[in-house]
Amino acid sequence: MNEEIHVRIRNVLIDKIQSEIRPEDLKRDTPLIEFGVGVDSIATLELLVALESEFQITIDEDEVNQELLENIDCIAEYIIKRIEVST
Amino acid sequence: MSVVPDLLRKTVKKYPDRTAVVEGEKSVTYGTLYSMVEGFSSFLKSRGVGHGDRVAILLPNSIEYIVCFFGIARLGAISVPINAAYKEEEMNFYISDSSPRIVLTDETLKQLAEKTTANNSTRVFVIKGDKADWSYSNHYKSNDIDNSIEPNDEAIFLYSTGSTGKPKRVSRSHYNLVALADNHTQTVGWTEEDKILFTVPLQHTYALGNFISGIKVGTSLYVLGTFNRNKVIDLIEGESITVFPAVPFMLNVLAETYLKKPGDFSSLRLVISAGSPLSKEVFHKFHGKFGIYPRQLYGSTETGVISINLCEDIEDKSDSVGRPVKNVEVKIFLDNGSIADTNELGEIAVKSPSMADGYDGLPDETSKAFRGGYYFTGDLGLIDEDGYIKILGRKKQFINISGNKVNPREIENLIIRHSKVKEIAVFGVKDSEGNELVKAVIVPKKEMNMKEVFDFCQGRIADYKIPRIIEFRKSIPKSPTGKVLIESLQ
Repeated sequence: MNEEIHVRIRNVLIDKIQSEIRPEDLKRDTPLIEFGVGVDSIATLELLVALESEFQITIDEDEVNQELLENIDCIAEYIIKRIEVST
Repeated sequence: MSVVPDLLRKTVKKYPDRTAVVEGEKSVTYGTLYSMVEGFSSFLKSRGVGHGDRVAILLPNSIEYIVCFFGIARLGAISVPINAAYKEEEMNFYISDSSPRIVLTDETLKQLAEKTTANNSTRVFVIKGDKADWSYSNHYKSNDIDNSIEPNDEAIFLYSTGSTGKPKRVSRSHYNLVALADNHTQTVGWTEEDKILFTVPLQHTYALGNFISGIKVGTSLYVLGTFNRNKVIDLIEGESITVFPAVPFMLNVLAETYLKKPGDFSSLRLVISAGSPLSKEVFHKFHGKFGIYPRQLYGSTETGVISINLCEDIEDKSDSVGRPVKNVEVKIFLDNGSIADTNELGEIAVKSPSMADGYDGLPDETSKAFRGGYYFTGDLGLIDEDGYIKILGRKKQFINISGNKVNPREIENLIIRHSKVKEIAVFGVKDSEGNELVKAVIVPKKEMNMKEVFDFCQGRIADYKIPRIIEFRKSIPKSPTGKVLIESLQ
């Protein structure tokens, strides 16, 4: 399940936010700040909306900070918790 | 003739026990709000603030923000609202330009306020939070406040971004603001039963017009410090919000936000969209989720509210910003100074009792924009056969290609239809010989190249209109209200 979640997060990042990233450049621990993730609040909100839609969960933007968006692993950890809360 | 404090005073007399402002768990009635304003005015006076002094407000949307605004007006002093999202460099400009005697802020923004006022005599007071210098409970004394405010006294300084250069200071008088509230309320038909949700910043002219209008008729104002989708949705549903002023970005995000179960948004009767053009896509998407169509409002820092689209057949007129609000006149002027015919494109000019006289300290800019009793908006548009205004571009952003005028909005509207294009901004740039060229900055949804854009445009628009320069970016810089910052793209 975890691997599948990582892949889906990577796809959301590539498809919705960072269209210029090649999948091979985006590893689980790649710092997302290098691609501007989390820098712009509007772009961050768009990412959260896309993740909500992908995983059918609700995310409170007040809980989201730069640490949570540090890399795919961190996002996955948060998503898994949210899925657990939802089920 | 009324002045700003009268707006509140009259409502308090009618509805002292009705809820005035709600912020999270806190709420105050109109009677309490009035007492807070009186007490806060007294506090300001004791700190040396008097008639004509400038007082900066560096606060997010909150009960305290509203207390500050009316408390300052009560003394005949001038509010200088500063966007709480601004950074140090931006703050430096506003402090230096407005020279406030005092900055009012909260604990989180105190450090920034102190840093930007360190080299002058401006004092900083925290008025929100546990360590506030003022609180309602320990300062209430109103018998030492004079009432010598005149309608033509300055009430607020706002700043107009403009398309180039530094922000221009716009001073609006008590008369202007009272007229603004009159014009708006006579048009939208709000009553004391309405509940308005403010997540757009109260510092901005858009929210200012709506919030003082809400106070004038005794509505309940729900304020959120920042835009939080889930809180907005919860409030609309849980508190039966009836009016929601927003910007298109917010409407789009709300429409796309995942909901576990369908919500009940039937209380909403007016959703306002302003700040930037509302696309057909967002218009329909928002309706699909919330069951109500957003209605475009048009306004400016210089004039306040100009028009709102209250058309019954809104689907047919969704691209219009509506008809002028009460007491406001809108004309379309051609380049030769004559007035345009119905459906003829020209510059939108406004005559309104709520508009400013000009830009402070900028006589050249003033004489260009304020002529013959009108404010020339720089927006290009037309008025249709039913009196509805459509905005079709910006005059300054028209691109002159060898004598052929190109409307950038037309090119944007075309290219945005390409399935790979997420966002686009089109504008003119000059080559080394001074000739204007069409440039497009595109935020793609997925990988795309320039040839795809050329192929898409060819055959759809005249060859000279096809962008010569295409740049792909990850985002397009915008102002807090969503206005594209063209100057930073050029």
